[in-house]
Amino acid sequence: MNQFGSRIASHLDDALQGVPRDVAERLRAARVQALAGRRMTEAAHAPAVVQQGGSAALQGGFGFWGWAAAVLPLLALTLGLLGIGNFQEQLRAIEIADVDAELLTGDLPTSAYTDPGFAEYLKVDLKN
Amino acid sequence: MASEQELDAFLRGVEKRAFKRSLYHVRNQESALDIVQDSMMKLAEHYGHKPAAELPMLFQRILTNSTLDWFRRQKTQNALFTRMGDFESNQDGGDFDALESLLLDRDPNQNDNPQNQADRAQTLRVIEEEIQELPARQREAFLMRYWEDMDVAETASTMGCSQGSVKTHCFRAVAALSKALRARGIFL
Repeated sequence: MNQFGSRIASHLDDALQGVPRDVAERLRAARVQALAGRRMTEAAHAPAVVQQGGSAALQGGFGFWGWAAAVLPLLALTLGLLGIGNFQEQLRAIEIADVDAELLTGDLPTSAYTDPGFAEYLKVDLKN
Repeated sequence: MASEQELDAFLRGVEKRAFKRSLYHVRNQESALDIVQDSMMKLAEHYGHKPAAELPMLFQRILTNSTLDWFRRQKTQNALFTRMGDFESNQDGGDFDALESLLLDRDPNQNDNPQNQADRAQTLRVIEEEIQELPARQREAFLMRYWEDMDVAETASTMGCSQGSVKTHCFRAVAALSKALRARGIFL
């Protein structure tokens, strides 16, 4: 039985020689396309590997100075922004305090500033 | 991991045989080419990182599955259901120890004169016709065992059935082919 099967297979091997040229060419093209697909798959996976490598380096022996060099500039930037914000807040408070002081120490009563007629008088006076 | 050269050499070595195997199953050149191309793409993209030694078995399995997928897509054709039924595993896996022994060396083509070449071409044509007439599972098992030189365990693994079923399919395929060829005046 094995001998019979092997003889059949021997004849089938002959069939490989008779594959038409256009079929052989399409098979070759399919092989080339498959290899190109493999290259694309490998290229798509490459950035992930690089990324993993980067995180591995961070987790590795980065050292105290490396850590300090990474964190201190961020700390300085944060403190600087907080200082600038605080300084501007103080300036604004001083300006408001000055206006309040002018209002309270002036000859006009405070209610005059809410009177529509007085506001109109000021506009006309400024135009003239 | 198989290098690109190894993968290229492997595909170059199996592409024509894979095409003919698919052609025996689907009987359509365009479909057979599509199946082989699809199988090559799947192997290269999904299993290109595997060692070169694993490529043959992987490719056989992918080719078998791609062929099955092709049959599944032919749902509108009545013939499909007969063939799909053929692909279903059966459980009658008897032991056929004769298939366990080593394959004999294949006969070299000893005679190259035109008459012998014509006879051989005619014999091949008849063999191909009769192989296409086999039920799909028998054809698959027979081609893997005798043409791909796969052993029973590898064939069973690729076909997703028991080793006993593989032996049964091979036994029946050989018996059917032998009877059919004798009836057509061909004695191997």
